Amino acid sequence: MREGRNWGGASLVLPAFVLVAAFLLAPLALILRYSFDLHDPIKLMKGVFSTQNYVQAVADPFYQDVLLTTANIAALSTVIVMLLAFPVAYYISRLESQRLRGWLIILTVLPLLLGNAVRSAAWMIVMGTKGVANALLLSVGLIEEPIKILYTPTAVVIGLVSVLLPFAIITLQSVMDSIPSSLEEAGQSLGHSPLRTVYGVVLPLAMPGVAAAAAICFALAMNAYATPVLIGGPTMQMMGPVVYGQIAKANNWPFGSTLACILMFVTLVLTIVSTRFLSRKYF
Amino acid sequence: MKIGRYAFAALVALIFVFLLGPLIVIIWASFFADKILSFPPSGYTTSWFGAAWAISDFANGFLMSVKVGACATVVSLLLGVPAALAVERYSFPGRETIRQVLLSPMYVPAIVAGAAVYIYFVEFEIFTGFQLAATFGGLVIAHSLIALPWTMRLVCASLVTANTVSEEAARSLGANAVQTFFLVTLPIIRPGIIAAAMFSFIASFSDLEKSLFLVGPGKTTLPIAIVNYLEWSLDPTISAVATVQILIIGTALIVSDRFVKLGKAF
Repeated sequence: MREGRNWGGASLVLPAFVLVAAFLLAPLALILRYSFDLHDPIKLMKGVFSTQNYVQAVADPFYQDVLLTTANIAALSTVIVMLLAFPVAYYISRLESQRLRGWLIILTVLPLLLGNAVRSAAWMIVMGTKGVANALLLSVGLIEEPIKILYTPTAVVIGLVSVLLPFAIITLQSVMDSIPSSLEEAGQSLGHSPLRTVYGVVLPLAMPGVAAAAAICFALAMNAYATPVLIGGPTMQMMGPVVYGQIAKANNWPFGSTLACILMFVTLVLTIVSTRFLSRKYF
Repeated sequence: MKIGRYAFAALVALIFVFLLGPLIVIIWASFFADKILSFPPSGYTTSWFGAAWAISDFANGFLMSVKVGACATVVSLLLGVPAALAVERYSFPGRETIRQVLLSPMYVPAIVAGAAVYIYFVEFEIFTGFQLAATFGGLVIAHSLIALPWTMRLVCASLVTANTVSEEAARSLGANAVQTFFLVTLPIIRPGIIAAAMFSFIASFSDLEKSLFLVGPGKTTLPIAIVNYLEWSLDPTISAVATVQILIIGTALIVSDRFVKLGKAF
């Protein structure tokens, strides 16, 4: 039914396009402008054009620390996520039973769709001083008295890993589906062990997918809000909560916008990088 | 060889325990008798579900999330299905760019989008005197944006896989574009639309970060009510609320799997 240029067809996208343009693109343009403005305690904004916020975001020790903490935690979580997601994705993509495969994908997607409020609540119950983790460790005798897990950076990494894992599994699994299993059979018929075949054949071919998934996970981790706030506690300063604090609590729109724009920029770059990697797999 | 395969399956099972274990624990904890959560519990009860409903923040938050989710789903279908049809079935200049723009709400970080929309709403109110921040309408607009990319993705996917032969036959037999859509295309892509509706609702219902800026007193969604409660206390009430949300979203997911095999959709 492709009929060459068809303006009737084009008009069908108009309402959706207007919604996105008016309530996403325009607001983003607005905060980009405000990120160059300066805070005024009375008028909210001075109405000037200055790069001072960006300088402050990078030079001020406090925000430097926030940015570094966020990047560190995001990087560590991403590495762990990739190590865990790879075997799971490989297992799912090589399953013969379509039924089991379907169920495993539902089980992977379910936590992803539950939202971060419920998942953080679940981790809080697991990691609390009277939580399951401590009860379990105590009963096995690994520890003598309850250890503090909740409200530590370790807890935030654990929480983030569980938030990001489904994204990574789904992305990697779809990439591995496109790698014919005959290549592994070839590797094994040459006498290589299964582990060596995966390392020598599957991993190099899946590398674009790994890079793309890692980029997506890193971006999502940088933007995390619920996990650092609920599992990290009040001392855990990461970008997401700081953006919220600046805009909603401190009413410092210009500086909040600057931090938001930095997040947006990092995410944009990583998304473009990841789509580059993903499209390259077709060559 | 065989041992290696079992070890591999065991490793995968262990990772799934990590992924799903906390959810099983929170469901389990919603039946604990003790107010202070400790493991193992001294006994079991179902009274926390009633107790949670009696807390107005949870009851109202739940109703609010259902209403906002339903409205956002309707908006995203009304705008998204025609858009998906245009992008997949017609050719016009800038089509691929428009496709990316319509999918973009999925890629913009929720906290950034939430902040931007909040500032935009407040400025809009200053200029027009029309309040959007902390209103039901404002929430529905923001949530429609959360839902739209899901509708686009799932409806586009079912349009791509649907055969265009019957559409062409209908056109050559004299049906106009509108008749063809309602009588031929719509029945074919119905499963995709149902899945789109389910995912749109889920995405809206579970959203926390984007709504954070946009809720107001008495207009709180369920995930935000959960986070507010968690700041002060952690007890079986919150487990009961979480259990209800897990049940609702799990059901929606299994229902949509009946229409679109999720094993193939992702």
